[in-house]
Parts: sequence; structure tokens; C-alpha cells
Amino acid sequence: MNRAKHDNLTSTEADRFGRASAALLRQGVQNLPANIKDRLYAARMKALSVSKAQKVPVHSNVLATHAGNWSSHSSPLWDSVRWAAPVAFLVLGLYGIAQWQQDSRINDIAQVDAALLTDDVPPDAYADSGFLSFLKNGPLSDSDSDSDSLDPSHR
Amino acid sequence: MASAQELSDFLSSIEQRAFKQAVYAVRDDDAALDIVQDAMIKLAEKYSDRPAGELPLVFTRILQNRIHDWFRRQKVRNAWVTLFSSMGKKSEENDDFDPLEQLSAPDDSQIHQDGSQKMEQSQLLQALESEISKLPVRQREAFLMRYWDELSITDTAKAMNCSEGSVKTHCSRATQSLAKALKLKGITL
Repeated sequence: MNRAKHDNLTSTEADRFGRASAALLRQGVQNLPANIKDRLYAARMKALSVSKAQKVPVHSNVLATHAGNWSSHSSPLWDSVRWAAPVAFLVLGLYGIAQWQQDSRINDIAQVDAALLTDDVPPDAYADSGFLSFLKNGPLSDSDSDSDSLDPSHR
Repeated sequence: MASAQELSDFLSSIEQRAFKQAVYAVRDDDAALDIVQDAMIKLAEKYSDRPAGELPLVFTRILQNRIHDWFRRQKVRNAWVTLFSSMGKKSEENDDFDPLEQLSAPDDSQIHQDGSQKMEQSQLLQALESEISKLPVRQREAFLMRYWDELSITDTAKAMNCSEGSVKTHCSRATQSLAKALKLKGITL
């Protein structure tokens, strides 16, 4: 018991021992191998490259003319126009395409109607199943299917 | 906020010490370098806007957390390795493996320096580092922070996330253990 007590360092001795150890450790650090020092340097450079202090905040885009007189300070109106203009352009474009498609569809239907109305065969004939089967199975089906074959004057 | 120059100076001043502290803990140079690099990047990325005076404490805490993370990852990795090695057959022996290639060449930078004194100091340092590596984790952390990093008891307690009383206890035990171990080797500091 007494021996254990005797072996233990007092607070002051422990403090002195700690400081002496730290001094020795500091000396030892100076003798690190060169490759370790190089890798630590590379690690430090890598860390510094991503530090906040390296990143300079950019508040506005400044044109490099006339010492920055033509700076494009971003106003709230300009900011809103900057993103709203492409969206408006896109919406107008889609609307135009839809209108154009609808017009072309109407034109196609009008052309078909006009062709039916101006044809020699009355439109009611196309609703007649007998006429359709005549066109499909009759003697005209094997011949050339040009418009002349339907001409009543050829019958 | 610490300037870029202050941050650079700080990292330059602590990188070698941080490396040695990591080596004492993980006993592997490559792992220690990775840990120090991670800690420096974390400090630069997240905390470089802190005042320069706060950087030592913040860095010490990051470094200790990185070391603890490394041990956690090792634990998980070892668990899987043990599992698979017990399930499978023995791994194939690598015929090309030459143990001589694994031996590192001695550092020649000290050849021209004072022989006997340098040798004595080197042996002393080696013995001390060896005993520091054997200390329990918390005792080693407390000892290094208090005496090598020269942190106050309050700051050490903050960095270790424990009470000041615990820091004193860890530090005292570490010092007693080191002194005893060195005394057995005939070394007194």
C-alpha cells in the first residue's frame, strides 16, 4: 500500500512529467519522413482549396468594360423577367402549335367534304352497303381503281 | 472569421502533430494520413468561418471524431471479414508475396546528425510513443490534449464531451501509467 503510494507521482510531478513528455513528442514530430510531410502538405492544400475563406461570394455579374460602369446589377424586376420570359415563350409556342394542328385538321375535313360533295356519285351512295359491296366484289374491283372507272358514263 | 492565411497557418502548425496523434490511435500511417486529411477538409469546409482562436478546439474534436469513426468502420469490416473467412475456405496463398518488400528502408535524413545523442533521444521517443499507444483511448486523448495540444481542462472536457473531473482523472491515470512503464524500462523524464 505504502509502496504504491510512494510510486505514484504527486500532482506537480505528474504535471512536470506531462510537460517533459510533450516536449519530447514535439521534437519527434520534426523528424517525420519526407514522404509523410509531402502527403500532409498535399492534404492541407486540398483542404484549403475547399475552405469557405477561399470562396469569394459573387453578388452581381459585372461586365469587364469601363471599370465596371456597365455592371448588370440585378433588380427584382429583371430577375423575374429573366426566368419568366422563357416560360412565356414556351407557353406561346405550345399554343401556336396547337392552333396550327387544329386548323390543319379542319382543312383536311373540309377537303374531304368538298371532294364528296363535288363527286359524281352522291354521298348517300357511300352509306349504302350494297354499293360498297359492289365496289369491293364487282367487276370494277379487279380493274384499275382510278376515278374514271366510277364514271357513270362508262357503264 | 479566420482568413485563408490564418487557416493555412493553423493547419500547417498542427498537421504533423495531428498525424502522430492519429498514428498513436490507429497504428497505421496510411489510415492516419486519411484521418488527418478528412479532419482538415471538414474543418476547412464547415468551420473556417469561425474565429481563428476557436480552430484548435474545433479541429481537435473533429480529429477525435474521425478516429472514433475509423474504429467503428474497422469493427464492422472485421466482423464481415471474420464471417466470410469462417464460411469459405482458406484464401489462396500469394506466391509472389515477399516479406522483404514490406520492410521500409531506414530514413537516411538523420545519418549526418549527432550520433549518440540522437540515438538516445530516438530510443526515448520510441519508448514513450510505444507506451502512449498502449494507453486506453480516453486516457490517451486526455493526456495528448492537455499536454501536447496545451488545451485547458475546460476545453479538453468540451473536446472529449465529458466533465472536467473526468479529464483530470483520465489525465492523472495516463501520467501515472506512463511514468511507471517508463520507469520499468529505466527511463525517467
